[in-house]
Amino acid sequence: MIRDITIGQYYPVESVIHRLDPRTKLAISFLYIISLFLANNKYMYLLALVALVVYIGFSKVPLKFMLKGLKGIAIFILFSVVLNMFFTKGDPFLDFAFIHISWQGFRTACYTTVRIIFLVLGAAVITYTTTPTKLTDGLERAFSWLKRFRVPVHEIAMMVSIALRFIPILVEELDKIMKAQQARCADFENGSIWNRLKSLFPVILPMFVSAIRRANDLALAMEARCYRGGDGRTKMKPLKYTVCDRVTYILLLVYLAGMISLRILL
Amino acid sequence: MIKAEHVSFEYFRRDENGNVSDMVEAVKDLSLEVKQGEFIGILGCNGSGKSTFAKMLNTLLDPTEGEIRIEGMSTRDESNTWNIRKNTGMVFQNPDNQIIGTIVEEDVAFGPENLGVPTDEIWSRVADALETVGMTAYREQSPNRLSGGQKQRVAIAGVLAMQPKCIIFDESTAMLDPKGRQEVLRAAHMLNREKGITILFITHNMEEVVEADRIVVMNLGKLVAEGTPQEIFSHPEQMQEYGLELPRITELAVRLKKNGIPINGTILDEDTLVSEIENVAERLSGGHAERAAYMGQKTQAEHAAYIEQKAQAEYTGDTEREDPAEVMRSGLILDHVSYRYNPGTIYEYPALRDVSLSFAKGEFVAIIGHTGSGKSTLIQQFNGLLEPDSGHIYFEGKDVFEKGYNRTHLREKVGLVFQYPEYQLFAETVLEDVSFGPKNLKLPLLEVQQRAFQAIEAVGLSDAVYDSSPFELSGGQKRRVAIAGVLAMRPDILVLDEPVAGLDPVGRKELLQMLQQLNQKGMTIVLVSHNMEDVAEYADRVIVMNQGTVDFDGKTAEVFQREEYLQELGLDIPVVTHVMKRIQEEGYQVNAGEYRMQRAVEELAAYLSGQV
Repeated sequence: MIRDITIGQYYPVESVIHRLDPRTKLAISFLYIISLFLANNKYMYLLALVALVVYIGFSKVPLKFMLKGLKGIAIFILFSVVLNMFFTKGDPFLDFAFIHISWQGFRTACYTTVRIIFLVLGAAVITYTTTPTKLTDGLERAFSWLKRFRVPVHEIAMMVSIALRFIPILVEELDKIMKAQQARCADFENGSIWNRLKSLFPVILPMFVSAIRRANDLALAMEARCYRGGDGRTKMKPLKYTVCDRVTYILLLVYLAGMISLRILL
Repeated sequence: MIKAEHVSFEYFRRDENGNVSDMVEAVKDLSLEVKQGEFIGILGCNGSGKSTFAKMLNTLLDPTEGEIRIEGMSTRDESNTWNIRKNTGMVFQNPDNQIIGTIVEEDVAFGPENLGVPTDEIWSRVADALETVGMTAYREQSPNRLSGGQKQRVAIAGVLAMQPKCIIFDESTAMLDPKGRQEVLRAAHMLNREKGITILFITHNMEEVVEADRIVVMNLGKLVAEGTPQEIFSHPEQMQEYGLELPRITELAVRLKKNGIPINGTILDEDTLVSEIENVAERLSGGHAERAAYMGQKTQAEHAAYIEQKAQAEYTGDTEREDPAEVMRSGLILDHVSYRYNPGTIYEYPALRDVSLSFAKGEFVAIIGHTGSGKSTLIQQFNGLLEPDSGHIYFEGKDVFEKGYNRTHLREKVGLVFQYPEYQLFAETVLEDVSFGPKNLKLPLLEVQQRAFQAIEAVGLSDAVYDSSPFELSGGQKRRVAIAGVLAMRPDILVLDEPVAGLDPVGRKELLQMLQQLNQKGMTIVLVSHNMEDVAEYADRVIVMNQGTVDFDGKTAEVFQREEYLQELGLDIPVVTHVMKRIQEEGYQVNAGEYRMQRAVEELAAYLSGQV
């Protein structure tokens, strides 16, 4: 059940997007999200869609696989749809008994849904196409200017990278502990919400114990391999921009220019 | 290379209020000297202080007394820390908890990166290290997709890339299957031989240190014995006292000696034992040519017939399989069960394919098969934790996935103990944890407590533990509490996934004997195991899993007759059977199908003394 969540999982295929420098992909994600918030008419959404299709197309990650990841945020989408539809005042679109939906409400709901889906898909491509190590490397380099303000950028990046490595292991462990308690007739599916929450205690506590034990082991293993923070550390794979990255940056600028001109002109 | 002088390590245990409740001396006055290029085996039961000692060698812990010098550098001097760690690499127990990188080659690079090695050299070091341990083909894979043995080899490569003079294996084989153990052990010997790297090999498994140059035995924090494998294993009583055992082959020789067979010296390998037995046979009867004459009235043909008859009896067995109608009524049946993980994604793979099995009351069944053969998936079908894609599961004659079937009843009657079950303990007290199952069955309080008490007793724990926190107990005790938690539901069938993994020799023996007792009281035991010796000693029936199918299902005697077949699957036959087979091949007419040690000893003793 938990294993079904595909969002944030690296999808191992060869593609141009996979080979891009993580910093480039970070820039794409960041600027694409901003462009979506600029969008206020259907032409802009159309352009954003074209960009998204190109981006996903080149990444070679199957759309089906990506759409599955949307399941996790379905409730969030529904919530925003309901909120927008029923609570936006304007010309009536549907008037039935106690249900009042305005044209404006309907429109905003549609746009918001499209915007959320674009945003999640656009931002998720980086996680599907970048190994966690590269991603954290990219983040570390992209935010290295923060070091001047004494932000421990390297340490944070290392923490994130380890957390990402352990997610699949912990998910598997969670699955196992849940099953082990179910084998002792624990019931996670029935009863009141309070009872269901209470029934999770025998799962959460062992998970904490296990996470702490693993953290302890890992800290020892890292120390034994001479880890002592980011100072004086070299890299096996230092980040370097290639021609592909330069071309991508140009395309990204063209896209942004397009979005801005559409907003100003229409 | 390594010089430890009168080293002690103490730590304080604190109670809930932070006051010192007692002081534990993990290592006491230990002195040891290791020369460059030696292969040292370190033995000791759980809590003997061997891991603490290993961590002091790597400056992960500082001795409270005494001094350790690595290549002349004192571990007390903090300026030496990095140099010492670079020189003495460590491979830990849990393969998952020591891999830092998300890709194999990036993990191997972690050490050199920390040491500030230039990028070009990191690449060549990583390539060399992976080549040495034979993992080059996996360099771009995620470590999560490797087997345990492969993960440990990656960990070894990670240490190698720092170019150490010494590698400490801290129970690095404890969590692996036999194939993985072999991989790690072979790598250790290879590094020792070819690169002259000093090896300290800490383990519970006696077989792994018979080829060491020297063995060090630790007990209660002290170094209690030191010597060549020959010397160490020639004192069986002493080994037992320290909670250890003998290698199987040595044990067999010792037992033969006890039964009056004059075998010389301490035997550490099969060839020597077989030739010793041959010698005895020669001496006693003047060789097998005149064997028939020596045996007096019996002719060789008659003896052959007797052996044949004995082997036949083993195959068909006196305990006939229960009649199908009875199994239908009271047993567990899997009918053409198939199961796939992650259907419809690129991660999809079929874990079970058309599996049909049945279990009758009172059987002791072992399920064997290499890692990934579907054993764990299979046992999760038994109590309905995984629903098969196709096929049916029947318990007591009812389909357990039919609408309206009470699955709680199934889980009550088919108890499932997962691997490392102590990781699922959660309650404040042992009693509370063990009561969890019966409480979920909504039984009256009195009944719940009664069952919990009985279960704790059944696993051999004293009533003193009722109110202690399960987290304070030792590893072996924790495991028993976890098993008690399943026993408290009073299952008819108890299924256990590798229940002795990681336990020391005494712990595993006690646990297996406990299962045997439960079985004798009528409980069906289904044991998933990698250890052929355990399977041989305890199981009556063996199921061999291979690539998600039941490849073989039959009597223990039958399966161990198929040496080549088992080896093809990465499994093996027990040491005892191996020896018996070889003696038979030499022309002596013993029952080559014998797989239990005691019976083999009796058979050999009788044969050799001419009493057959």
